[in-house]
Amino acid sequence: MTPLLQVEDLHVWFDLAGGGELHAVQGVGFTLEPGERLGLVGESGCGKTTTALAMMGLLPSSASAAGRILLDGKDVLAGGEATMRPHRWVDVAIVFQGAMNALNPVRTVGAQIEEALELHGVARGAAARTRVGELLESVGIPAQRAGRFPHELSGGMRQRAAIAMALSCEPKVLIADEPTTALDVMVQAQILELLDALCRDFGLALVLVTHDLPVVAQLCDKGVVMYAGRVAERAPVDDLYHRPRHPYTRLLFAATPDLDDLEQPVASIPGAPPRLDRPLAGCPFRPRCDRAFDRCETETPALTAWPDGSEAACHLDAAVPA
Amino acid sequence: MSEVAVEAAAARGGVMWSTIRRQPSATIGATVLVVIAVAAILAPWIAPYGVHTQVGPVFGQPSWSHPLGLDDGGIDMVTLLMWGARISLVVGFAATLVSMAIGGSVGVLAGYFGGRTDTVLMRITDYFIVIPDVPLMIVVAAIWGPSLFHIVIVIGILLWTGTARVLRAQVKSVRERVYVKRARALGAGHTRIILRHVLPQVAPLLIANTVLTVAVAIFDETALSFLGLGDPSRTSLGKVIENAFQRAAISSGAWWAIVPPGALVALIILACSLVGGALEDSLNPRLRVAHLSARTFRLRPLVGRGDAL
Amino acid sequence: MRGADYVIKRVGFAIVTVFVAVTINFALFRLAPGSAITDLSRVPHATPELRLALKKQFGLDKSKGEQYVIYLGQLARGNLGVSFANEQPVWSNLRTALVNTLPMVFLGTIFSIVIGTLTGVIAAWRRGTPVEAATVTTALGFYSMPTHWLGLMLVIIFAGVLPTGGMTNEFLLNPSFWTHVKDLASHIALPSLTLGLVLYGEYTLIVRSAMLETLGEDYILTARAKGLRPWRIVRQHALRNAMLPIVTLIALSLGYIVAGAILIETVFSWPGIGRAVYEAVLQRDYPMLQGAFLLLTISVVFFNLVADLLYFKLDPRITE
Repeated sequence: MTPLLQVEDLHVWFDLAGGGELHAVQGVGFTLEPGERLGLVGESGCGKTTTALAMMGLLPSSASAAGRILLDGKDVLAGGEATMRPHRWVDVAIVFQGAMNALNPVRTVGAQIEEALELHGVARGAAARTRVGELLESVGIPAQRAGRFPHELSGGMRQRAAIAMALSCEPKVLIADEPTTALDVMVQAQILELLDALCRDFGLALVLVTHDLPVVAQLCDKGVVMYAGRVAERAPVDDLYHRPRHPYTRLLFAATPDLDDLEQPVASIPGAPPRLDRPLAGCPFRPRCDRAFDRCETETPALTAWPDGSEAACHLDAAVPA
Repeated sequence: MSEVAVEAAAARGGVMWSTIRRQPSATIGATVLVVIAVAAILAPWIAPYGVHTQVGPVFGQPSWSHPLGLDDGGIDMVTLLMWGARISLVVGFAATLVSMAIGGSVGVLAGYFGGRTDTVLMRITDYFIVIPDVPLMIVVAAIWGPSLFHIVIVIGILLWTGTARVLRAQVKSVRERVYVKRARALGAGHTRIILRHVLPQVAPLLIANTVLTVAVAIFDETALSFLGLGDPSRTSLGKVIENAFQRAAISSGAWWAIVPPGALVALIILACSLVGGALEDSLNPRLRVAHLSARTFRLRPLVGRGDAL
Repeated sequence: MRGADYVIKRVGFAIVTVFVAVTINFALFRLAPGSAITDLSRVPHATPELRLALKKQFGLDKSKGEQYVIYLGQLARGNLGVSFANEQPVWSNLRTALVNTLPMVFLGTIFSIVIGTLTGVIAAWRRGTPVEAATVTTALGFYSMPTHWLGLMLVIIFAGVLPTGGMTNEFLLNPSFWTHVKDLASHIALPSLTLGLVLYGEYTLIVRSAMLETLGEDYILTARAKGLRPWRIVRQHALRNAMLPIVTLIALSLGYIVAGAILIETVFSWPGIGRAVYEAVLQRDYPMLQGAFLLLTISVVFFNLVADLLYFKLDPRITE
């Protein structure tokens, strides 16, 4: 059976202003089944947002891409912008970071949702306006707020409206790129709950892009941990949580504050990710890894499968103890 | 501590040179300005003929000895252009100096002291921005009578508003930086802080603004001259245009008496705009990634797939 | 009502600005040393009767403070004085001139806004291509040209094809309505084109940078994600937002339009306000000059107010 969405050996390069290029995504791959929830995790600059944008063909003109993105078995990346556009919002929709002004400030929230409905022929005129009301209600916004402008809503409300807009054409896949960044903790929890409920109700497949590994553990079925533009580990969340195979995954878990025990100091991962504007030798994580050995300096580890189904790009033989 | 300030200022001065060297538009603009300025400065020594000497017939045609022909008084046009550029540049720079002194003081004082000083100064600036400056210049020049000095003062006292606004914003942000605060904590007087710490920081922006203001001042001088408000004893480029217009150069078919002086003014203004614009952009980069443009992202075949993994 | 405060504030600002202009006007002509109006001996065409009338009307024998009050009172009644040159009331001279100026300036401005917006959008859209470089260079070129010189260049180019001076052909006797309109249109073409070309350069640069700024906004990415076609995004999302800075900057260029009108009317002998200013300067007709300056300032203040209110209408975020 073909999966709903399949990303294969995806590469993205950005032209740099002063010449040269940045290899932001280096051979990323994963699959997504209908209704499945996948978490794309990593520190900022690891290529996770670029991967998400590439999945919708939303890369800027300074980018070039290679690889395959299969939607129902059909490669939608192959024709660039032309083959991507018909699938946008109809098959794959996206919710951007809460900190972004993803809504046009001079148009009402309702008008912006209606625009998507009419563009894709879902509903028109009065029917579209009714549908806008229903969509807003479904994300917890009173229908009469459709006439409000984005600046008249709170950050959390704006993010809810953005989610309602993403659901307007009943896509099969919803990409949520750091949907809770810049929102306060209470609102973050509400937005995550909302996403959880909506995926269940609408049978949506979800790609959650986040730097927050515990959120993935809580909300998703499987996780893809990215480092320096590559997949470091790819596994069901249970395995990620209980049996992380890659030292980076383990350190990521350690680096998030434990909400039950805020007294305990947070151990951040020392060092910074490598620059991607030049080729790397050996394992990209080696300089920051607490378990690196000589092989890591010379040989780049390939993603290898473990018997239990998880995969990691690490030379260590045994599972990293949690 | 003062070393910190000096270092930062030097680094920003570096920004200016590197902009002029690296940005093609700035390089072209700066080169054009230097060539014109050198020709203008050396006019008394290198101009081929005397600026008051009749060397041929009225509106004499371009020839080998007079590549741009002669004007209505039989004076060599190349000579006139060099002397004209000299006066125009002097007016442009002198007026800009006046304007910078006013605009710079208003901007620095408003930004540095903030509060009521800021409110009052900016309110005054707001009124001056709305009042159209060329008609006001005409009125003042008409009442005072035509002289180079009057023109410089008139243009200078009406062009400062933009500078004041730009500088105020910059000073406001500089003021918050650590070493200014520390200088104040150590008991330095306001004058000292402004001269030693604030001014070096805003200097590059002031220079970018100066270059742009010179362009406007030269434009204004050309306009005032054309309306008969120029200094009758000094031949600026504006005066050359006015002369040619008044003496019916066009109906006489003497295009060479009227095309080159205006083109030269346009060239000076263009060069100033290129340099000033490029400097402003590099000091205050506003360019961001466009999410939408005519070009889309490109696709690339995967070659050497093996080493990518 | 949303933003009643904002509207009141802007109208208040406009009124105060006019008042400031009126005061500057008074000070320039009355207080400055060798001031033109108090020194009636400098008036070339004044008859003794006119001088006496002026003296009485403006209280020139009274103190400066009283003069200021009288001046304001006369102004409130619409009395701007009498032209030294043709001994007509200044206001009636200006009214005729204004009627002639408006269509010329209006045509030129519309031309420049339309062409400037179009080329500015294209330049931003084709960023980093030769199209952008060519568009920007051309715009900068026109922006740099002295207005009157560009007018003269058009005279050289179009001499013999289009009339290069005046507003009507005075040799047309009792023309039919359509002949008259055609005559007017051919006379207005070059002055309007000159103004249009000079302004277009500036507007192209303004629109381009406003569009570039807007095309980098996040909601443009959202619009693309929604599957909208590029031109529809430009029209319905980008342009609408880019209009905000454009309106402000066009309002700031009003002074430039006024300067352009003065120079252009001088070149083309167009009998408008600009020409009136030029003639007033030549003849040292100070009441006319004073009146024209006041009228030009009030127009600029008025259109600035219009721009402020338009901005308010375009941007729902303004609440006060």
